[in-house]
Amino acid sequence: MSRRAGSQSGGVPWPGGVRAWARRHAYSLLSSLGALVRHPLATLMTVVVLAITLSLPTGLYMTLDNAERISDGWERLDTVSVFLDAEIEERGAVQLASLLSTWPGIVAVDPISPQAGMAELTGRLQLDDLAGRIEANPLPWVLEVTPAGGQDVETLSGRLRGAEGVDQVVVDLQWLERLSAILALLERLAVLLGVLFAVAVAFVIGNTIRMDIHNRREEIRVLALVGATDGFVRRPFLYSGFWYGLGGGLAAWLVVELSLFVLSGPVGRLSGTYASDFTLASPPWLVVATLVLGSGILGVLGAWLAVGRHLRAIHPS
Amino acid sequence: MSGAEHMVRFEQVAKRYPGGIQALGEVSFGLARGEMVFLTGHSGAGKSTLLKLIALLERPSRGRVLFDGRNVGRISRRQIPWLRRQIGIVFQDHSLLSDRRVFDNVALPLVIAGVAYPEIRKRVRAALDKVGLLEKERMYPPMLSGGQQQRVGIARAIVAKPPLLLADEPTGNLDPELSAELMQFFVSLNELGTTVLIASHDLDLIRRLQRRVLVLKDGALADDVPARQVAAP
Ligand SMILES: Nc1ncnc2c1ncn2[C@@H]1O[C@H](COP(=O)(O)OP(=O)(O)OP(=O)(O)O)[C@@H](O)[C@H]1O
Ligand SMILES: [Mg+2]
Repeated sequence: MSRRAGSQSGGVPWPGGVRAWARRHAYSLLSSLGALVRHPLATLMTVVVLAITLSLPTGLYMTLDNAERISDGWERLDTVSVFLDAEIEERGAVQLASLLSTWPGIVAVDPISPQAGMAELTGRLQLDDLAGRIEANPLPWVLEVTPAGGQDVETLSGRLRGAEGVDQVVVDLQWLERLSAILALLERLAVLLGVLFAVAVAFVIGNTIRMDIHNRREEIRVLALVGATDGFVRRPFLYSGFWYGLGGGLAAWLVVELSLFVLSGPVGRLSGTYASDFTLASPPWLVVATLVLGSGILGVLGAWLAVGRHLRAIHPS
Repeated sequence: MSGAEHMVRFEQVAKRYPGGIQALGEVSFGLARGEMVFLTGHSGAGKSTLLKLIALLERPSRGRVLFDGRNVGRISRRQIPWLRRQIGIVFQDHSLLSDRRVFDNVALPLVIAGVAYPEIRKRVRAALDKVGLLEKERMYPPMLSGGQQQRVGIARAIVAKPPLLLADEPTGNLDPELSAELMQFFVSLNELGTTVLIASHDLDLIRRLQRRVLVLKDGALADDVPARQVAAP
């Protein structure tokens, strides 16, 4: 009969070498899966809670991502207003318009007469009698220039400024700047929500593991009695936490994809009315991987917190 | 192997439970390597407490408990598992896992040690065979009688072949015939080199086996009868 008394000098972290270590790990892994499968309803409920929690920040992130793609497209709709010299008449304006429309980087040129400009102005300011009170229309001819997509508006306006008969070039990017500021704000909000929801996920899993530990305290006691290390007792729970997190992350991904699918019809019809072929993008792989693995790691973290507290209580002091 | 002469030594050990109950007071004795000793005494005398102090299931309030020359009271939390793996324990309350099969219960000490599955299978079946429960390996403990559960506990205690076996009333639930058979099994383990300490009320059986007997009375060692003085019935 083999004798081992005194052959080991206390607290060996990996008694029996790497293969024994691997076998203990395999046991922990299987036992953690077994525990989850034995209570399918409880496991499912936890996973659903996690999925909903995680799908909210992910959904917000995807909304912003898609909104940014739309606003990238909007930059093309931006126009440059070219104010011509006051002495240029209709003929000169139309000639310049057809000249500019041949420039590369310009999609369309739309001449606006001083009369049309005045009408728009009075309409906008609701000063119907303004035209009547001003004897001579002070407005010049204006060319509304639509730049091509990908064209840098700054260089284009520079070139326009240098053209013969051009007085002023006005680029109105303010509303675009506002939009992107709003998007940046929402993005920050998404990050904030992401952090809060990550903490929530760790705590939800920690609490679930705490209940698991409570249900299995007899098992923990017996394991400790027959010489299990803290690590051995802790490991199945850490694996459980990882499975919960992983399951929650995968389910959240599913929720987001399903939502995108449900929304794709209405979004398609809406973008059709703008003669746009915009479609909703799915989350990129990096986001999916971060979501799934990140929530798995959060699960391990939550489980660690829950088990650590309990382990300190099972040995006599 | 360390050179300590005693497998277990108690030096003026006292144990007071929280709440003020003095379970043991000033107990001193030694358990030689390879010895087989019985521990007896009235209910509440402190037998279970004494066994628990050896495996560090409780810590002594005063005095020193030495295992293999090491002061158990000084062992850190991280080293408790090492100590427990040197000791097979048969618990008075069995301490089996009711949702695990008999086989898995007995296999626990080997699983914890990271033994390969074919080896676990071989050793668990050998241990179950020795306690006469091989055909019950696929059952769950609640499906077994009290005596059968006790024997599963014994199989678990011996499966990893620890150098020290502590048994708390291992035959408490068994009929005389089976009790005698299991005691004989403990004797054969002892003859193969295991140090054995058994707490028992069964004075007839103890007398018949003619081993050293420690008698506890109200938490104190009232008598220490050497093997040759134990009268055969
Ligand atoms: N965990 C505990 N907390 C408080 N008191 C305890 C505890 N365990 C045992 N005791 C007390 O210590 C004394 C000795 O108990 P112990 O279990 O050691 O007796 P025993 O000799 O094993 O008795 P039995 O033959 O009935 O098993 C008893 O008075 C008991 O009430
Ligand atoms: Mg007792």
